[in-house]
Amino acid sequence: MASVSLKELRKSYDGKSDVLAGIDLEIAHGEFVVLVGPSGCGKSTLLRMLCGLESITGGTMRIGERTVNHLPPAERGIAMVFQSYALYPHMTVYQNMAFGLKVAGKDKTAIRQRIGEAAAILKIDHLLERLPRELSGGQRQRVAIGRAIVREPQLFLFDEPLSNLDAALRVQTRLEIAKLHRQLDATIVYVTHDQVEAMTLGDKIVVMHEGHIQQAGSPLDLYQQPRNLFVAGFIGSPKMNFMAGTVLEAHANGVTALLNSGETVHAAVDGSGLRDGEKITLGLRAEHISESRGGSEVFIGEVSVVEHLGEANYIYVSHEGREDVVIRGDGERHVAPGQSITFSAESTAFHVFDEKGEARRRLRPGNMVSATRGLMRSA
Amino acid sequence: MKHEVKIWQLLLFLAPAVLVYGVFSALPLMQTLGQGFFVADDNGRAAFAGLQNFRTVLLDPDWSAGFWNAMVNNAKFFCLHMLLQNPIGLLLATLFSLKGLRGARTYRTLIFLPTLLSVVIIGFIWQLILSPLWGVGEKLMGFAGLAEWFAPWLGEEETALTAISMVSVWQYIGMPMMLIYAALLAVPDEIVEAAHVEGASAMRIFWQIKLPLIYPTLGLVTILTFVANFNAFDLIYSIKGALAGPNYSTDILGTLFYRTFFGYQAQVGNAYLGSAVATLMFLVILAGVGVYFVGVQRRLTRFAL
Amino acid sequence: MRNRLMVHGALIAYTVLALFPIALILINSVKTREAIFDDPLALPTMESVTFVGFQKVLASTNFLLYFGNSLIVTMLALFCILLFGAMAAWALSEYRFMGNRVLALFLAFGIMIPIRLGTVSILELMVRLDLVNTLTALVLVYTAQGLPLAVMILSEFMRQVPAELKDAARCDGVGEISIFFKVILPLIRPAMATVAVFTMIPAWNDLWFPLILAPSDRTKTVTLGVQQFIGQYVTDWNSVLAALSLAVIPMLVLYALFSRQLIRGLTAGAVK
Repeated sequence: MASVSLKELRKSYDGKSDVLAGIDLEIAHGEFVVLVGPSGCGKSTLLRMLCGLESITGGTMRIGERTVNHLPPAERGIAMVFQSYALYPHMTVYQNMAFGLKVAGKDKTAIRQRIGEAAAILKIDHLLERLPRELSGGQRQRVAIGRAIVREPQLFLFDEPLSNLDAALRVQTRLEIAKLHRQLDATIVYVTHDQVEAMTLGDKIVVMHEGHIQQAGSPLDLYQQPRNLFVAGFIGSPKMNFMAGTVLEAHANGVTALLNSGETVHAAVDGSGLRDGEKITLGLRAEHISESRGGSEVFIGEVSVVEHLGEANYIYVSHEGREDVVIRGDGERHVAPGQSITFSAESTAFHVFDEKGEARRRLRPGNMVSATRGLMRSA
Repeated sequence: MKHEVKIWQLLLFLAPAVLVYGVFSALPLMQTLGQGFFVADDNGRAAFAGLQNFRTVLLDPDWSAGFWNAMVNNAKFFCLHMLLQNPIGLLLATLFSLKGLRGARTYRTLIFLPTLLSVVIIGFIWQLILSPLWGVGEKLMGFAGLAEWFAPWLGEEETALTAISMVSVWQYIGMPMMLIYAALLAVPDEIVEAAHVEGASAMRIFWQIKLPLIYPTLGLVTILTFVANFNAFDLIYSIKGALAGPNYSTDILGTLFYRTFFGYQAQVGNAYLGSAVATLMFLVILAGVGVYFVGVQRRLTRFAL
Repeated sequence: MRNRLMVHGALIAYTVLALFPIALILINSVKTREAIFDDPLALPTMESVTFVGFQKVLASTNFLLYFGNSLIVTMLALFCILLFGAMAAWALSEYRFMGNRVLALFLAFGIMIPIRLGTVSILELMVRLDLVNTLTALVLVYTAQGLPLAVMILSEFMRQVPAELKDAARCDGVGEISIFFKVILPLIRPAMATVAVFTMIPAWNDLWFPLILAPSDRTKTVTLGVQQFIGQYVTDWNSVLAALSLAVIPMLVLYALFSRQLIRGLTAGAVK
């Protein structure tokens, strides 16, 4: 297994506009890195550049100790699992897995041994003589992974491998991939558009948008200290509540803001550099709001929609001057549309984003639990 | 959802096609097949004669030599097409399907042109080019330093069939080229990419990945070539006339059929014998098609891509 | 990129091989007889340019008539093939009825087995119907020849029309015949292009049936006319080349205009 280093990586198709620009990324040996972002953000292009299927317009790419910019895929020590699995339809599972090894000139005994081992790990030994069209989607996917494993690469690349599976299978396979990562001690770069997949699988998550890396860090980092509005809105479900306002007072140990909806809010955020009157956006996650007056910052509004999930409910509250705020309630208290409601949050729960969308450092970002449960822990 | 339809509407939809096809294609064919079993009696009327016509064509020394000659020539004609037309068509289609080939569409359009033109025209054009009188052929071979090798191939018994076959190949290459090209396009990109990532060279990808996936199309091309070749007539007729000279060296089943049925110069036409020849042609083609459907089709399953 | 150069080289070489015979004929058709023989590969110059061949052809034959005949026959046959073929394809692919399979097989048979084998009886039939030496005979024969393939291609396409469209029309109370003409036909236009390609080219270029069924001067097609003219004037190089050029030029013009649709039609239907 190897480390990966990307410095100032650039990709342009027509020489004029960059599809990817200024990509700097370090991946450690054995790390599971997830590239995540909306369609068109460049994550698949970056993966294909790692693979060698797309050329590199600028910058350097190192896999292990070598600069691989001009090396063909087969010489980079990588293996790729394609989104649609790309199994050779006219070959059996065994032959599919053996193809790459035959190209590399390995002898029959070595091939059989490697395939045997991989098949055992993936539990597909009983499928070796089948053709791809006789397999289910989940089985095909495992064969695709098996084909990658037998090549014993330094780096595994996964291109949205779960998107063609149904929901239940997706969760199950997610777990298997996580286990596989530990079993093989593999360095993995994994592309997905699903932020839940990213959060659950990745050691490091790289959020991408319009060809740039917005933020790279551990799942918790991204959740607690999103660097800008995009990352804040992308990570976490339901989406973070955003409230527009202006700065009343800003200090290193706190920011007081006047929201467009009329409330005055105090946020436990390092406000250095913010000017009075500057337009800012406050962020607040649904799960950090309490359906009572318990927290330090209090709001009122009218319930517009309630979604019941069983273990919780999502309460959408509307008020003049701001978009609907969604609250994650415990599901036990009775709430109905049309009711007026009071909700609150602690000042440490807020995020503050300046007029450019950049986040300010939160003073106490540690995971909070809804004040209704009555517990607050700091990081 | 199959819907309820009134009988008269159904008949309306089906009638024209079935009638025209039935009356002008299927029925005549069956009649011809039947007519082969008759001969003209002394009064000129049809009399049932069993397999006599067939025996005449296949075994009677006056006729059978001609028949078997035509049969062998037709087989040679087919083999030459299989050796040249389809492999070159395959090669061209492969070149067209290379990624990022500039001007691919222009090449395709231009190379396909001969296929559109009338066989008659093509036949004459090549006759002129290969004609020793004009000297163009000789001059062109001179460019390659091979001027001495030029000969009036079309006029010589040993080479006439080969020469005509090459002209036919030259013209019809467009068809297999296009069919195979379409099939190559249908091979998913990701499969080729996967093989590339696994280190396979372009040659290996072609032979081990792409080619197996287009076997059904190759089979189709083969049977279409077979049917077309054993039905051929126009090119030989326009270059060599119905006598298919020199000395019947370019005679194939189509020209034999024409001559037998309609007569030519000294030979009187015999409708019944002609029908027998047509029946034999039909059987040959049927055999080929049968082999294709039973033997080839079953084994070349179209892999779900 | 040495590989790419070789590829282009091979393709250019083959393109030249494919085109030069035609170019040769066109160039030489406007040269004087001496120029044709002295330097066949040269382009016509001011001194060597002549149209005498063309004049001869147009004067001694009814070339325009032949051209018109070919056009009429091909267009009419195409129309019939498309209309009858679409109707039959619709009936076979949409409705379940006894004998559906058998009928489909009956028609499919015609794709593989060439119609020429039944010429003996076709001629006798035409004689009996008094249709010898008429364009009608040719139209009927070419329609019969093209129907099987047309039905197969069109029914494949029709099967892919989403059921919702048809059901929606039926819910609106539209009758079956109207559904066919107003809903289905417009949707299968790409397939019609494919059918057009596969039927028009053999019909236009055919020598056999015009020779056997309609050889009179009134009804000759371009293909037959050119073939006979050349057979007659085989030593008159100017005329021969001019006749060949005249036969080729209309096709070239049509091809230049419609090549994209033509090739698209060809490859679309081919994968089926």
